[in-house]
Amino acid sequence: MNLESTTSELKHKWLAHLSDVSVQVGVMFALLVGLVLLTGWWDPNFFTPYSRHSVLRDTAVWSLFALGQAVVIIGGGIDLSVGSLIAFFGVLTILMLNSGLPFPLVVLLILLLAAAIGAIHGSLICGLHLQPFLVTLCSLLIFRGLARVITHDKTVSFNSSQQELFRELATGSWGGLPIPVLILAGVLVPLGLLMHGTVPGRYIYAMGYNLEAARFSGVQVNLLRTFCYALCSVLTAMAALLETGDVGSVSPSSAGLAYEMYGITGAVLGGCALRGGQGSLIGVVIGMTILRVIKSAVVFLNFDTYWTFTVTGLVLLAAVIIDSVVRGRRTGYRH
Amino acid sequence: MSQTSPPLLRLQAIAKNFPGVKALQRVHLEVNRGEIVAIVGENGAGKSTLLKVLGGIHAADEGDIFIDGERQRFDGVRDSMQCGIALIHQELNLADNISIGENIFLGRYPSRGPRWLSLTDKASLYQRAAELLQMVGLRVEPHTLVARLSVGQQQLVEIAKALSAKARILVFDEPTSSLTLTEAERLLALVERLREQGTAILYVTHRLAEVTRLADRVIVLRDGEHVGTLRGEEITEPRLISLMVGRDLEALFHQKSEHAKPGVPALDVHDLQHDNAAGPISFSIQPGEIVGFAGIVGAGRSELAKALFGVDRQRGGEIRVHGEVTQIRTPRDAIRARIALVPEDRKLLGLILPMAIRINISLASLPQASWLGWLNRRDERRLTRELMERLAIRAKHSEQRVLELSGGNQQKVALAKWLALAPSVLILDEPTRGVDVGAKQEIYRLMRQAAERGMGIMMISSEMEEIVGVADRVLVMREGRIVGELLDEAINEQNVLRLAVGAAQGTAA
Repeated sequence: MNLESTTSELKHKWLAHLSDVSVQVGVMFALLVGLVLLTGWWDPNFFTPYSRHSVLRDTAVWSLFALGQAVVIIGGGIDLSVGSLIAFFGVLTILMLNSGLPFPLVVLLILLLAAAIGAIHGSLICGLHLQPFLVTLCSLLIFRGLARVITHDKTVSFNSSQQELFRELATGSWGGLPIPVLILAGVLVPLGLLMHGTVPGRYIYAMGYNLEAARFSGVQVNLLRTFCYALCSVLTAMAALLETGDVGSVSPSSAGLAYEMYGITGAVLGGCALRGGQGSLIGVVIGMTILRVIKSAVVFLNFDTYWTFTVTGLVLLAAVIIDSVVRGRRTGYRH
Repeated sequence: MSQTSPPLLRLQAIAKNFPGVKALQRVHLEVNRGEIVAIVGENGAGKSTLLKVLGGIHAADEGDIFIDGERQRFDGVRDSMQCGIALIHQELNLADNISIGENIFLGRYPSRGPRWLSLTDKASLYQRAAELLQMVGLRVEPHTLVARLSVGQQQLVEIAKALSAKARILVFDEPTSSLTLTEAERLLALVERLREQGTAILYVTHRLAEVTRLADRVIVLRDGEHVGTLRGEEITEPRLISLMVGRDLEALFHQKSEHAKPGVPALDVHDLQHDNAAGPISFSIQPGEIVGFAGIVGAGRSELAKALFGVDRQRGGEIRVHGEVTQIRTPRDAIRARIALVPEDRKLLGLILPMAIRINISLASLPQASWLGWLNRRDERRLTRELMERLAIRAKHSEQRVLELSGGNQQKVALAKWLALAPSVLILDEPTRGVDVGAKQEIYRLMRQAAERGMGIMMISSEMEEIVGVADRVLVMREGRIVGELLDEAINEQNVLRLAVGAAQGTAA
């Protein structure tokens, strides 16, 4: 193993004073600014209020589940159930509202259900020592299937009088910012404090690097891992509510499709290492913004929309390569 | 054996150095057809290095290897195998998802038909495998998957594999350490039978009873040096023990404490039973006392430590810390009861290597450096600074990642993490493994200092000199039980070894 390295091998000393993750977040931010300027220069319509609003709104919604994914990944796990849960919660929300339940109660029930599903993921992973990848892969199949079963695979839409309030929450603005952005801020600030300012946050990073060493240090690893999965599912449910409110209908077979991959991509762009232990929450939001801007840029730069996935993949690949090269410079590894 | 023909295998003046360590010096060894030569020595005496040189895994720095009187060069495992040497490893090297027969002939499947088709001749493979299994006395179908076999049976398959490769020199490394009594007996009988059939055998073991029963000759190693050879009648347990030990250690160690204070023990364990041991186990440690836990590898000492620390499940018994009964189900419970464990494997269990020294040192005591769950970074930095000074941890700064430190400094970080907690009971599992002599001395000083502050220290060590030099009292474990206690003058290597290997009473002079 080539783990040992000394600073004397460093070629770029100024780089040595920054952590790997902050360097990556810096690079990602520069990439984002470049991408925004390029798109806006090519087609100034990118900066119209409508376009700006929808980019910010979508970024905020996507960032919610990406942050959940990031916390799971930092703690050494992975959650593949995100996309299917978006469809499942969306379908349930519409059915419950249409049946006449009051909006606040529906929100409460959905969030509680989400916490329970996440807790089940955590218990299966910790209690039965199952692989996170497999447990959440099963959920990906189960909940996509359930969404289609309860709707008989038909798109469901609102017929409820409460739709206006709901829609306003998902698409409206307050003080010039889309309401979902404010909701994201309301999540990001306490989550940031949790991860960087508290003992459990420190423990999550520690167990992501080395679960056994954390257990041997008295960390209640089972409880914390279960918390991470529950948090991820709850944030996914919040994203599902906002997405449903915006669109007004849910197609059980295509809603949220591949969103878990968006979340993982955003987390990696934001400096999360898939083996756990590293990552920056701000970086994740920047990563998700990049993904959303790419989606718009493909349109504004006159490509066909189906280029989106290819471009996203190339950007992720470029980010991974740049990260590896920068890291190599910093530590003197040879590639 | 005629006097004129050269021995089958002869090692002459073999030496091997690793950075800072003379692992082997001037080792001579001969083995003839139909002869069993045993190699004994304490942990770290150089036995494994010698086997690795024989197996072609390490190249010797000096000395020559002769097979049938001809000088050979071993540049790799293949060279050693071609000379007819087969190692039966402690960790078995079989693929457990394929059959016995396929394992025996792995990489050398008998073929049929045109060569370019490389068709396997399964019929002859299994027929030959069955013959070999009969030779080693394993009554199992050669089609059986290796995964279905016990460790003892797998060992027999290893031997069959060696025989199939026309091995003339079989090298056994602690072959009975993980076998049941009956399996061990069967193996010893097989080794004797192989000798009668003319195989040359090298046999490494901790169990002196096996040496006196089997060996025609014994090579004793100590600190990499070949300190003696015993033949025939000379092979007795007392003589083996006195050759294996005996050297001046004083300089490394500090004054021992004037006995533990009487009164309430720091740790009092009564009839403890847990998943991985024969148990029940009872002992106590007074405040200020360093109790050494000796025994051969696998005697159940690390398992005991893990049970006390709440990693392995306890099945019964009572644990008191300073007289108070405590329930310990998780490491968190243990930490609350002020029991700390510095585990044996610091890289996997003791430390989080890619994280900063500060984060590692504070990890176990974070609840103390925090207020309602909020990290108090100033407290954390102060704690880190204090401990880095007190333990003289040599690093550029507290944000340096632990994996960049030397082994000795890593171990000091692992120790600092638990001293930060000011525990009542400090359990150290192999506290100086892989650490250079300078750091060793500092770690002993820190242990003594901690004891003087009133901690009860449980020190598990497989290094005899450490047990004898550091411990105020020694408990010896064998096969999951405490089999003896040594005090004062009685703490010497002969007594420890006698209890650890289970030699009959009174054999050690």
